[in-house]
Amino acid sequence: MRKFRTAAITATMVGALTLAACSGGTGGDTSGSPEPDTAGGDAPNELTFMFRGGEYDKIAYEAAIEKFEEETGASVTMIITDADQYATKLQAAIAGNKVPDVFYIEPGKMMGYVYADVLADLTEYVPQETIDNIWSFGTDAYRFNTETGARGDSADPLYGLPKDVGPFGFGYNTVLFDALGLEHPSADEPLTFDEFVALCQELTQSDKLDYETWGTGLNVVWNSQAFIWGAGADWISEDQKTVTVDTPEFAEALQWFADLGLVEGVTPSAEQAQTLDTYQRWMAGEIGFFPVAPWDIATYNSVAEENPDKFGYDVIPYPVANEGDDWSTWLGSLGIAVSENSKNKELAAQLATYLSTDLDAQKILAENKVQIPNLIDYATGEWIETDAPAAGWPANTKAFLEIAEEKGRPLPGVWTYTPEWYDNFWVNITRVVDTGDQSAADFLAEVQPQMQQLLDQSWISADQAKANG
Amino acid sequence: MATTAPPAESTTVWTKEDAKASRKANNKLHRREHAWAAAFMAPPVIGWIAFLLFPLGFSVYASLTNWNGIGNMTFIGLDNYTRLLQDQYFWKALWNTVFYMIGIPIGLALSLALALALSRKIRGRTFFRTVYYIPVISSLAAVAILWQWAYNGDFGLVNQALGLIGIEGPNWLMDKDWAKPALIIMAVWKGLGYSTLLYLAAVQAVPRSLYEAAALDGASSWKRFTKITWPMVQPVTFFLVVTNIIAGSMIFTEINIMTPTGGPEWSTASLVWYVWNQAFRNLQMGYATAMALVLGILVLIVTVIQFRINRANDFSID
Repeated sequence: MRKFRTAAITATMVGALTLAACSGGTGGDTSGSPEPDTAGGDAPNELTFMFRGGEYDKIAYEAAIEKFEEETGASVTMIITDADQYATKLQAAIAGNKVPDVFYIEPGKMMGYVYADVLADLTEYVPQETIDNIWSFGTDAYRFNTETGARGDSADPLYGLPKDVGPFGFGYNTVLFDALGLEHPSADEPLTFDEFVALCQELTQSDKLDYETWGTGLNVVWNSQAFIWGAGADWISEDQKTVTVDTPEFAEALQWFADLGLVEGVTPSAEQAQTLDTYQRWMAGEIGFFPVAPWDIATYNSVAEENPDKFGYDVIPYPVANEGDDWSTWLGSLGIAVSENSKNKELAAQLATYLSTDLDAQKILAENKVQIPNLIDYATGEWIETDAPAAGWPANTKAFLEIAEEKGRPLPGVWTYTPEWYDNFWVNITRVVDTGDQSAADFLAEVQPQMQQLLDQSWISADQAKANG
Repeated sequence: MATTAPPAESTTVWTKEDAKASRKANNKLHRREHAWAAAFMAPPVIGWIAFLLFPLGFSVYASLTNWNGIGNMTFIGLDNYTRLLQDQYFWKALWNTVFYMIGIPIGLALSLALALALSRKIRGRTFFRTVYYIPVISSLAAVAILWQWAYNGDFGLVNQALGLIGIEGPNWLMDKDWAKPALIIMAVWKGLGYSTLLYLAAVQAVPRSLYEAAALDGASSWKRFTKITWPMVQPVTFFLVVTNIIAGSMIFTEINIMTPTGGPEWSTASLVWYVWNQAFRNLQMGYATAMALVLGILVLIVTVIQFRINRANDFSID
C-alpha cells in the first residue's frame, strides 16, 4: 500500500508538473485575458477572421472589413494574436474543432491542413480575373494536388490567397560607394561572382574612412539561397523527392560563399559578426552589400534619414556565377485561407478575396512599407510610378516587382510536407562558413544522406496524412 | 457491526425480521453517508480523471499513432518508439537536457549558503531576501530576453563585468561550448530565490538547543553544519532536488527565446524544445508524444529512485 501511495504521489507530481509545463507555451500569454473564441460564426452573416500582424496590418484590415461589412451585410469578428503564438493557437483551434472562418496560413503547413480537410477549396469562389491580377507566385503557393503531392501548379486547386508576397531583394549602401569613389552597380544586370568579390574587396577598408568597412556580411541561413541558385545548384529536385546538395556546383557555390569571409576577408569575422551582427553593421554604414526586403524599408529609411553621411541604399539583382546566368532569390508569402467547415463558406471566401485584393487595404499596406501590393495592375501602374516614390520606397523598387513576377522562388523547405530535411542542412553549417573546419564538399557529402532520410520521412508522413484524412 | 447484534440480556425475542429492519435502516444511513462521501470526493477524482488520467491515456494512444495533430490518427504500433531510438537528435536533445541538471547542485549549494547567511542577524537582511526573490516572480520570457542581451559577446553586461577583472568572456550564446553553461547560469540565478526561501525556513526551524549542546561538546562550526544543519534541512533538499529535476527536464522557454534554432550546432536544444518542434513545426504529434512519454517515464524512474534513497536515509529526532 505504501509503495502504491509513493508511486501514485510521484506519478501525480510528474504528471501535474508536465501539464503545467505544457500549458506554458512559448513564454506564456502574460495578458491574463481570456482566450478569444476562435470558432466560426453561426449566423448566416457571421464570420471570424484570425490573423497575426503589426499595427498597419490591423489598420488596413479594419478598413477593408468595414467596407466588406457595408457591402455584404456581414459581421466579421477579428481575432489578432501574437506572431510567435499564432501557429500554435491555430493548431489548437483546429484540434478543438473551433476553426475560424478565415485565417492566415503558412504555405509550408498547407499540405497537412488540406489532407485533414481543414482548408476549403477556393477555386470556384475566386473569379479568374481576380486571380489573373495577383502575382502568380502568390496564388501558386496555395495550390496543391492532393493526389500527387505536387505544389505550385496553376492548374491545381486553390486553397488560399496571398496576404502578401515578400521578395527578399539585395541592396547596396549608396553612400559608402560614393565615399569610396566606386561606381554604383547596375540596377538591371546582375554582377558576376568575380565582379562581386572585386567590389567587396574595394569596399573592405580599414584606413580610407574614419571607420572600418566590409564588402558584405551575409547570414548563411537566410542569404545563401540566391547565390547557390545563381550558380545553378539547388537543395532539392524539381519533383521535391531528392536532395541535390551533393553536386559539384553546390559545393563550389557554398565554398565560394564561405570563402567570402574565410579567404577573401570581405565580411566581418565570425566573432565580429556575432558581437554586433551584420544587420546592425549594415545600418551603421559599415557594409557595402546586404539584403533588402519590403519589411526593412521603413527601418532603413529612418536610418538613412538619421545618418545620411553613412547610410543610403538601393536595390539591385543578386549576383550570378557567370555573365548571362539568370538570377533569382527567394520569395516568401503568407496566405489567407477559409475553413472547410465554415457555415458561411462562400461569404468567407469573399472575405478572403477582399482581404487579399482590396485596393484601399493594399494602398495602406504599401504606403506604410509593410508589403508590395498584391494587385499586378496597381503595382505595375500607379504604385511603381507615383505612390511608391512618394511613400519613400527605394529608387529601384521595380526589382521587387521583378522578383514577385518571375525571379522569386520558394524557400526549399516550403513545398514539402515538413521542412525538417531542410532545417537539418543548417545545424552544422558553421563548420563550413564560420570556422572553416570542414570543406563544403565534405560537409555536403556528410549531410546529404541525413537530409534525404528526413525528406523520405517527410513524404511518408505526407502519405500517412493523406490516408488518415 | 455492533449495532446489528441482538441485545445480550434482553428478554425481547430478536427475530429475523427485526435484524432485517435494523440492517435496512443502517444500510440506508450508510448509503446516505456514502453518497455524501462520494460527493465530496468526486471533484478531485473527476479532475484527476479529466485532467490527468484521460490526457495520459490519450497521450499513450497518440504515441502509438502517426497523428499529425490536426487530422485523424492511424495506429502504427511501436514505430514511433523504434524511430526515436535511431533519432540522433533525440539523443542529443536528451543529453543536453541531462547536462542542464548540472545547475541543480550548484543552485542548491548557493541557496543553502545564502540561506545560512540570511538567517543571521545582518543589516539589510530583508532587502537581500527581496532582491534574491525578485527573479522568481519575474516573467521567464522577459528574463530570457534580458539575459540574451547580457550575454552579447561585445556589449553584454556579463562580458563587460568579466572585462573589469581582466577576463575576456566568450560569445556565450553563439559558442557551442559556452551556450549550455550560459543557460545553466541563468537558470540558477532565476531559481535561487525560491530555493533560498525554503532553505531559510528549514534553517530557522532547527532547534537552537541542538547547536547549544553541540557547542558545549566542543563541536566546530563545520561539524555543527554537517551533523546538525545539513541533516535537518535534508527534507527540503530532497523536495528541491525532486522538483528541480522534474522542472529541469522540461526546460523550454528560455531555450526557445535565447537560441530559437537550438543553438550553435544544436548545442542548446532540450528534449521538450525538440518535442515542441516536432509537434508544431513538423506536424509529427504522434512522434512528439512518444518522446514526451519517454521523457516522463525517465523522470518518473529518477523520482522513484530518489524517494527510495531518501527513505533509506530518513531519520527522526525523538
